[in-house]
Amino acid sequence: MEELPGPFPVGRYARKLQEELRRRARVRLVGEVTGVSRSKVQAYFELRDAEGAVPCAIWLDDLEKAGLPAGGLRDGAEVVIGGGPDYYPGGGQASPSFAFRATHMRLAGEGDLLARLGALRKQLRAEGLFELQKQLARPRLPKTIGVVTAESGAARRDLLAGLKRRGWAGTVIWAFAPVQDRRAAPAIGAAIQELAATPAVEAIVVTRGGGSLADLWAFCDETLCRTVAMLRVPVVSAVGHERDSTLIDDVAAVACSTPTHAAEAAVPLDCLAARAALERSAAALRRAGEGAVGSRTRHLAALARGPARALRRERIGLNQKTREIRAASERGVAERRAFQRRIALVVLSRAARRAAGPEAKQRREGLRRAAVAFRAHEPERTLERGYALTEDVGGEPVTSAAAAIAAGRVRLRFADGRVGAEVDQDGEG
Amino acid sequence: MSETPDSYEAAVERLEQIIDRLDSGQAGLRETLDLCREGRELVTYCSAELDAVSEGLEELKLDELAARLESSSRPDSV
Repeated sequence: MEELPGPFPVGRYARKLQEELRRRARVRLVGEVTGVSRSKVQAYFELRDAEGAVPCAIWLDDLEKAGLPAGGLRDGAEVVIGGGPDYYPGGGQASPSFAFRATHMRLAGEGDLLARLGALRKQLRAEGLFELQKQLARPRLPKTIGVVTAESGAARRDLLAGLKRRGWAGTVIWAFAPVQDRRAAPAIGAAIQELAATPAVEAIVVTRGGGSLADLWAFCDETLCRTVAMLRVPVVSAVGHERDSTLIDDVAAVACSTPTHAAEAAVPLDCLAARAALERSAAALRRAGEGAVGSRTRHLAALARGPARALRRERIGLNQKTREIRAASERGVAERRAFQRRIALVVLSRAARRAAGPEAKQRREGLRRAAVAFRAHEPERTLERGYALTEDVGGEPVTSAAAAIAAGRVRLRFADGRVGAEVDQDGEG
Repeated sequence: MSETPDSYEAAVERLEQIIDRLDSGQAGLRETLDLCREGRELVTYCSAELDAVSEGLEELKLDELAARLESSSRPDSV
C-alpha cells in the first residue's frame, strides 16, 4: 500500500471524482423505473433491467420539459433517459451520493418502436425496397388520384386545399380507412391495393395528421410497407409532420411533410402556371409562324422591287424615247412636206417658164393654121360659093333624091337664108 | 402531329424542343411552318388535357365505385 500515491484529502478527491465523472460521455439508457421519490427540486429513481441498475436523478424542470404524460414517471414505467454520471461530494453534514443525472426522458415504448423501426428500415433498405417506387414514372398531370386517409380529419381538407391551389379539379377517389390502431395497417394496405387496381388511378396519396410514433405506428407496418414498395402505381406519403418519419415514407415514391405538399407531389403540374405557359408557347408559335412568313415576304418583296424598279426605269426611258421619236417623226413629216412643196414649186416654175418660151409660139401658129384648114371645110363656105343645102323640115340634111321624095317638103338653105320647096317626083317633067 | 402524344409531359417536352428550334432561327421556311403546325396541335392537345382537370373536382368513394363497377359488370344490369 505504501507504494500508492497519496494520501490525499478526501474532500479534494471527491471533487476530482466529480470532475472525472462529469467528463464522461453523455448517453441514453433504457430501463424500468423503480423507487421513485421526489424532493422539492429533484426526482430520484433507479433505472434497472435484468442485468443491473443505476441510481438516477432528474431536476423537476427537466422532467417537466420531457413532457411525459401525467404519472409517466412511475414505478414500472419503461423509460429512456439521456444524461451522464454525476457525483455529489456531500459536505460537513450532507451525505455524498452518486447518480446518473438525467436531463431528458421519454417513455420507452416509443424507444422500443424506434428500435424496431430502425431494424425494419435496415432490412427493407437492404432488400432494395426503398428504390422501387422511386423508379416509377409519375405523371405530371394525372386525371384521377386515389387517396387513403381518415374520413374525418384535417388531412382530407388540407389535401383538397392543396389540389385547389394547384388549379387541379380532376377526380379524387377516396379510400377511407382507420389510421390509428391495430386495425389500421391491414385496412390501409387493402385500400391502397384496391386503388392501385383501379385503372384510372394514376397516383395514390396516403396521409394522416401528426402524432406520436405509437400513433403513426400503422404506417411502419412491415406488410403494409412491402405492399407499397411493390405497387406499380406511385404512392405519395404524407404521414405525421416533418419531424416524424415512418417506414412508409421510406418506401413511397415521394415522402411529404404535410397533406398540402402531398397534393403538390401527386399533381406535380401547377395547372394555373401550366395554362399560362401554354398560352406563352402558343404566342411564341404564332410569332414564329407569322415572323417566318412575314420576314420572308418582306425579303421577297424587297427582291421583287429590284426588277420592278429596273422595269420602271426602262419604261420611263422607253417613254422618253417614244416621245423623242414622235417629235422627230413630226419634224420629219413637216420637213418632207416642205421639201415636197419646194419640189412642186420648182416643177411648176419650170413648166411656167416652158409655157412662156418659144414652144408656145410655135403651138399658137399651128393652131392658127389648123383653124384656117378647118374653116375651109365648113358648109357655110360652100354655100358662099353658090351651093344650096337641102334639109327636111326638122333641119336635118337630106342627102339623096329618094330621101327628098320621101320627105315630100324640104327646105333649101342658101348662104343668105332658107326657102321651102315641094318635091316633084317627076323631076324632068 | 401525326400521333397523339403519350402524355402531357411528352407533349410539353416536344413543344419546348419546337420553340427552342424556332427561337434558334435556324429552321428554314418549310421546317418553320411544319414546326408551327405541330406545335399548334401540341398546344391544342395540352389545352384539352388541362381542360380535362379543370371542369370541377369530382369526388368518389372507393366503396361506392367498387359497388358501381360490380353492378355494371352484372349481365342483367344493362
